[in-house]
Amino acid sequence: MEQVLLDFIRALRQSGVRISVAETMDAVNAARITGYSDREILRNTLGATLAKSRREEEIFEACFDRFFDADDYPDMDGENIPSLLEEGEKQTAPLTQMILSGDMASLATSLRDAGDRANVKNISFFTQKSLFGRRILQAMGVEDLIRDIKRLSGSGNEEDRQAAEYLRQAKDVLNERVRDFVEKQYSLFAKNVTDELLERFLRDTKLSNVEERDFRRMHALIRKMVKRLNDVHSRRKKTARRGLLDLKKTLRANVAYHGLIVYPKWKTKKINRPDIVAICDISRSVEKVVRFFLLFLYSLNDSLAKVRSFVFCSNLVQVSHVFENYRVEEALDRILKGKDLDLMLSSTDYGRSFMDFKDQWLDRVTQKTTIMILGDARNNFGNARTEILKLLQERSKRIVWLNPEPRSFWGTGDSEMKRYLPYCFLARECSTVNHIQRTVDYMLRTRN
Amino acid sequence: MNSQHDEKFKAVDHIRIGFEKNGYVCSRQIATTLYLAWHLQKPILVEGPAGVGKTELAKIMAAYLGLPLIRLQCYEGLDESKALYEWKYGKQLLYTQILKDKLNDILSGAEGLNDSMARLHQFDDIFYSTYFLEPRPLLASLRQQDGSVLLIDEVDKSDQEFEAFLLEILSDFQVTVPEIGTITALSRPYVFLTSNNTREMSEAIKRRCLHLFIPFPEAKLEQQIVRVRVPGISEDLKLQLVAFIQAVREMDLKKAPSVSETIDWARVLVLLHSSRLEPAVVRETLNVFLKFEEDIESVRENMPELMAKVKKAI
Repeated sequence: MEQVLLDFIRALRQSGVRISVAETMDAVNAARITGYSDREILRNTLGATLAKSRREEEIFEACFDRFFDADDYPDMDGENIPSLLEEGEKQTAPLTQMILSGDMASLATSLRDAGDRANVKNISFFTQKSLFGRRILQAMGVEDLIRDIKRLSGSGNEEDRQAAEYLRQAKDVLNERVRDFVEKQYSLFAKNVTDELLERFLRDTKLSNVEERDFRRMHALIRKMVKRLNDVHSRRKKTARRGLLDLKKTLRANVAYHGLIVYPKWKTKKINRPDIVAICDISRSVEKVVRFFLLFLYSLNDSLAKVRSFVFCSNLVQVSHVFENYRVEEALDRILKGKDLDLMLSSTDYGRSFMDFKDQWLDRVTQKTTIMILGDARNNFGNARTEILKLLQERSKRIVWLNPEPRSFWGTGDSEMKRYLPYCFLARECSTVNHIQRTVDYMLRTRN
Repeated sequence: MNSQHDEKFKAVDHIRIGFEKNGYVCSRQIATTLYLAWHLQKPILVEGPAGVGKTELAKIMAAYLGLPLIRLQCYEGLDESKALYEWKYGKQLLYTQILKDKLNDILSGAEGLNDSMARLHQFDDIFYSTYFLEPRPLLASLRQQDGSVLLIDEVDKSDQEFEAFLLEILSDFQVTVPEIGTITALSRPYVFLTSNNTREMSEAIKRRCLHLFIPFPEAKLEQQIVRVRVPGISEDLKLQLVAFIQAVREMDLKKAPSVSETIDWARVLVLLHSSRLEPAVVRETLNVFLKFEEDIESVRENMPELMAKVKKAI
């Protein structure tokens, strides 16, 4: 039974639950204490020892149901024919005997063993399903069974022909059983391998090329990334201001020593969490990536403290409240359609939008604020108003520009990127998820 | 943990019944986890929304075992000296004074510096001995002769450093005081950690604990809870009230009512001598289980639908 448990843990790991060796040992010990007889108790037992967060618990539930299927091996439908049994015992293959004697338990064991011999746990693509199915059948000795069928149906004896017919039916059932088995193994061990591959691929795909059907997956990916960034950066850190004595703390700490300074305490400085203003272009020129930019902003809003989000096209509006009040799909839809927002969706006007920002929100920008601009800087040959960006640069801690176009396109045509560039602390091409992650990581890391 | 309580952890259902006698209705999952925690001697990390009885679980466990409950409330900035131990500085000073007065007596007759030093050294260790140790919750629970139930409440509110510091206690049930040495638990405490999920706990701490997530209870379980906690309630009212709360939880609210609020509301209705759920009374008592004005407003608007749902559920 322990082997089964280890297989289960392996399947869990592949579904993305992190399980350490210590936890594996706990699970084995716990299962020993509670026993395997009660399915519900086993589920709770393994759940308590293996799944350590809400998310993992959900994965665990699904995996448990798939792995410990309630009716693993129902009886094969054929009724047991005693006369055939005697016939079968003469010189038939073990598989034929098992079928004829109706020994379902050893048939199931044989199937599992064959699966082990065929290494079905290494299955990783759906195209391999039929290959593994064949291998398992082979390992169970299906060839001998076919030979028996041929021999029996060839004989003149009526009983033999009956037996052959029965065996042929049983073989079909067996085929199906093996197919189910492989399918189950595939869903346990392989699905997530391909998921992972796909994910890795998506991370480096240009955002503009991601298809609609991968959108959900992309969303999950971006969320994961933001969560990771948040985990790393959300804690307020303290740095010591070297050499400055904190008199109050020192006195308090040394009361016990008659006020003699035994333990000096030093001043420290708290670094605040990042305060971010995000401004996102949603005009037609960036149409293809804008969903992902918004998705990114949504996730930032969701988990990172203090993000204020704005979008603009011809003019600029704040959208933080939309992100806060609606679920992701609806929020994105509302913004892209400008629903309930005072947003004009004609040609892009960076100048006007910066102006709007300056007029309404400049007082919110402090020396601690990082301004993040997502856009391609294509201004339809309008006034670029670089002086406003200069003002913003002076007021804020820094400006970071994420541009979906590659660097070589900057400044060509109606792109004003080259003119905005001098005021940006950091300007990067940003067309894949990995780009975004790297940039934001860098931005948060170098915040001092 | 010692063996005299083994009888109480004989079987999963045994615990359930025992807890119910103490006024806590627990699901099978909770009981299984409690059972495992006892036999594996591991702490339990309890997560779940506010008010589903995380803290209560520890209290009832203490009552069930007849052991003292030692509680450590976590908050940002909690450190060793508040959680583990502190030296009794005042007492130490007092003793220094006494020693100073007695110095002549001690040193009289001593020949030479070496001899005097040797005599003084005899008193060295006294100042950093257990006499002068002020035990805080963690140490106190390790020093309980018969064991104890240790509740580390809202551990997610503490700093990451403190979390790291807990590791030694959680895995080996011992702490190290530099001046004295390692203090091992006389009898292993039964440890609960609760978390409201304001932040993710570190892998290291999760690895050392069993994990228990307590969700909002299903209707049936909640009815049992109400029956046990509010004995005077009529059967009709109980069914309707639980169905109503369950329906409210399905709405999109700022804060969904949890079990403790269900119980509060049941008590209020019993006090008002209601035997059925009347819309008028519900309207007036919404503020018992809803804590935001917007929530109360939206529930009020949807009253007819909610009442219809209640009718359907029964």
